[in-house]
Amino acid sequence: MTLLATIGLEMHCEMKSNAKVFSRGKNGYSEIPNSNVVALDLALPGTMPTINKYCVKNALKMSMILNCEQPEYMYFDRKNYYYPDLPKGFQITQFHHPVGINGNVVIEVNGERKSILIHDIHLEEDTASLDHGFASTYIDYNRCGIPLLELVTEPCIHSSLEAVAFLEHMRSVYKYTDISEADTKKGQIRCDVNVSLAEEGAPLGTKVEIKNVNSFSNVAEAINYEIKRQSELIESGRQDEIEQETRRFDEESGTTIRMRSKADAIDYKYFVEPNIPKYKITKEWLENIRTEITELALERKDKYIKQYGLSDYDAGVLVKEREVSDYFESCIALGIDAKIAANWVTVQILAYINKYELALNEFFLTPEMLKTIVDKINDGTISSKQAKEVFFKTLENNKKPEEFISKENAQISDRKELESIILEILANNQKQVEEYHNGKSNLFDFFVGQVMKQTRGKANPVLTKEILNEKL
Amino acid sequence: MSKFTAQLVDDYADKLLIGLTREENASVLNEFDIIEANMNKINDIAGLSSVEPMTHPFEIEFELREDLSDESDSIEQLLQNCEKKEGREVEVPKVVGE
Amino acid sequence: MKTVLELRELLDNGQVTSQALVDEALVLAHQNQEKCNSFVTILDDAKGNHEKKSLLSGIPYVIKDNFSTAGILSTGSSNTLKNYIPFFNATVIEKLNEAGAVPIAKSTMDEFGMGGTGTTGHTGIVKNPWDPSRMTAGSSAGSAACVAAGVVPLALGTDTGDSIRKPAAFCGIVGYKPTYGLISRYGLFPFASSLDHVGVLTRSVEDACATVDVMKGMDERDQTSLDSSTMHLLDSLTGDIKGKKLFYIKNLLELDAYEKVSDSLKSTFAQFESTLDLLRNAGAIVEGIEFDMALLNAIPTTYVCISCAEATSNLSNMTGFSFGSRGEGSTYIESMKNHRTLGFSPLIKRRFVIGSYVLQKENQEKFFLNAQRVRRLVVDKMNELFKHYDAMIMPCSEGVATKLEQAGNMLQNDLLEVLENLMVIGNFGGFPSITIPNGMIEELPIGVNITGKVLDDENILNIAYTLESKMPYKNQIAKEVN
Repeated sequence: MTLLATIGLEMHCEMKSNAKVFSRGKNGYSEIPNSNVVALDLALPGTMPTINKYCVKNALKMSMILNCEQPEYMYFDRKNYYYPDLPKGFQITQFHHPVGINGNVVIEVNGERKSILIHDIHLEEDTASLDHGFASTYIDYNRCGIPLLELVTEPCIHSSLEAVAFLEHMRSVYKYTDISEADTKKGQIRCDVNVSLAEEGAPLGTKVEIKNVNSFSNVAEAINYEIKRQSELIESGRQDEIEQETRRFDEESGTTIRMRSKADAIDYKYFVEPNIPKYKITKEWLENIRTEITELALERKDKYIKQYGLSDYDAGVLVKEREVSDYFESCIALGIDAKIAANWVTVQILAYINKYELALNEFFLTPEMLKTIVDKINDGTISSKQAKEVFFKTLENNKKPEEFISKENAQISDRKELESIILEILANNQKQVEEYHNGKSNLFDFFVGQVMKQTRGKANPVLTKEILNEKL
Repeated sequence: MSKFTAQLVDDYADKLLIGLTREENASVLNEFDIIEANMNKINDIAGLSSVEPMTHPFEIEFELREDLSDESDSIEQLLQNCEKKEGREVEVPKVVGE
Repeated sequence: MKTVLELRELLDNGQVTSQALVDEALVLAHQNQEKCNSFVTILDDAKGNHEKKSLLSGIPYVIKDNFSTAGILSTGSSNTLKNYIPFFNATVIEKLNEAGAVPIAKSTMDEFGMGGTGTTGHTGIVKNPWDPSRMTAGSSAGSAACVAAGVVPLALGTDTGDSIRKPAAFCGIVGYKPTYGLISRYGLFPFASSLDHVGVLTRSVEDACATVDVMKGMDERDQTSLDSSTMHLLDSLTGDIKGKKLFYIKNLLELDAYEKVSDSLKSTFAQFESTLDLLRNAGAIVEGIEFDMALLNAIPTTYVCISCAEATSNLSNMTGFSFGSRGEGSTYIESMKNHRTLGFSPLIKRRFVIGSYVLQKENQEKFFLNAQRVRRLVVDKMNELFKHYDAMIMPCSEGVATKLEQAGNMLQNDLLEVLENLMVIGNFGGFPSITIPNGMIEELPIGVNITGKVLDDENILNIAYTLESKMPYKNQIAKEVN
């Protein structure tokens, strides 16, 4: 029997903004507990939620990027339950009319394109964070009220590979649009995973939910473990033991552990938040927001391959981080040849910033400076080898590249000059010339070497070879 | 015959994290019966299912808030009514499980 | 006892100082406290305000205890908040402070607004100054009692189902609930957010106008608040209502429709007729209309479903964790449960259970959502009527203030229930609504209610003002019956 795994993902992503989504407290990370907190975050009696325009705008933007339908009115629901990290006793979320429904997004898995169907995306607020001590738990409300976008896929994913590809794609989208920093290490992304198993063609099996998985590798592990667990039960005829339940992923053991069953499922008593009136989403506003959507990674990649003739691999490297892609595109805008720019960025520049753990906006050598260097190679002023030296000197000294390109250092590209040097060398090495003409073709390199020695490496190598070929 | 039982009432109250005395439970049971009877008055109204539920008294036009943050309130103010705290945080009995 | 406007004159003429007014109010407050238990907190160190900033400057007033007052105990008349001191003011309090009014006490109420008798507050029941064996009605009980008794000329109230307007009727004073959103609710402890209104209790319609003029205004902290900058309530009073059209619900005023017809009911209806004649004499047109009986009968339960459901959710923040008295317990659940079990009174616990029940997934459609649908039908019907009429006018109650021993606080089941709860229509549609005294039965006051269309506050205030001027009850002080 071939079992097919069906997976649905719920991805929660913390959004960037100055203020929280329903509270006027600051949306920012702080080491100091309760330092970005206002009265509403503690749910003090009488405080009221108010919606943040910037968060709504970005939620709508993401809804459009995911090709969803937007509702006519934006409004919110209360999800009611009791927990120490939920001071109001309810979370403001969107249950009845999410900011986006029935969408889809195209991702790349193993070089192939696949469409993932989106059930909905909705805007909601984050809970406080709990610090567990020995006998007590401590509540820090800094995170309470931070805007979250929750994205729910249809159960159309069938492997952990696809799941992670999807999550990586979404992370890239969030970063490209600057809607979220999307850093799993900072806990800004949390996933719930639903897994069920059934024979191909048969109706979906019992769905098991794994909550709060906090890294993509854990998502993969959790899925793989669940598939294994459920397969074993099905194959040994114990499929009734697969219950519709909620589990959690235990990192240490790499397994999933039961939290609660469907029977214990909480009834959240969703109803419309009365303190936030319904807000009409006009066509004008949507169009306005749409114009802000820039090309995302996959589109840029396709462009680099089709328009600039880059390889799939190089294009992939360039679009992985938006800053890199932006840098590359600035180079093109300045007139640097695409393939040359791609080469510089993917080889020299990325190596450098990775080695020194810099962000691209901390990298001294701007696209303008790169253009200077490339121009100098093109007009023969310096050789490729010299260019690399200039590159490093620029970075080491934080000075413009021009400072390291001087007459003394300049490459010898003058034909007449090189010709006279070459003729001199040939004249001084008659023996080798004869041997070369008699078949020792590897002596060619010897001549090149001599020219380089004579000129202290400044001879233009391409021209040198050309002239040698003529004279020999 | 009422479809509500004392057990059911206790369950509902429990989910709200509220405990009821026997008397309070009995009062609720009584009120439930009245409400159930009165619900028929609502359900008797013709054409109800095609009416959109009303969530706000009228359609309110309003401005969305600009993305500007307020300064954090001071920790003294925030925790001044908190009876059990440790440093800058609210302290509660250890939360286990999830 | 003087009204706000009269006091303003005296203050401006230097005939009295603010400090003197405040001192006198404090003395009266303590006396009234003994007799009626109107207050949770009396602010004995209240200082007179001698800077003139507005009509209200220097005038003492009372705040219902569900408004956040910075540095001052704010309990909502609940044990869950018995020691709670907010560090911020509700927006209306800020505005009144700015205007120079002087708060002298926080008044007793029904716990969190969830009651209509004034008997469920944690510091005890509030007694009617006209007859201490009777209730004031609620939830703005203490506010009504102290204004009626002449302690202060004005007190803040809140109204979710009639909690300003019914106490005003039972205490023989003016109770005004403006259009929803006219006054910010930021800082007000919520009961049912889509029904909650901030309003005032005074002894004259002019005073109510003057006060709400100061209190109203858009507040960015309350996105349900409205811009009313073009409304000037006091200035728009003309005393001329010629041609104004009012309607009453005739099928509720037929004695035959009632199972029990008390003398009180007969008297109320008779006096109501006289009131209508006064309006007609002033040039208004007053007509009876038939209102769909099925819809009317559905009103009380609709109110119960919606208000209990929203309340249950609104009060889920009472956990005792970051504020409120901490509950005993070795787990967080125990602690939360103890705080709530011991902190909430029996009445509101019952309301919560009902609220929770109607919101359960399997019940929502039949109870909560259907109630919201009925709400829309009632409001639509009213708006239809308001296309042809300026206001609805109806008696506030079957009769005078109920005896305390009969205060059941339980939900009832007959046509009287409709009459008693009719004013909730004002909350369903956010309609401006005002109660003024219009008669007496055996020396105890009764009141009449005028309700108009959204944002048409000036119009109904003018109608009330004109009517008031035709009757002898303006600025009346409670005279205790024996």
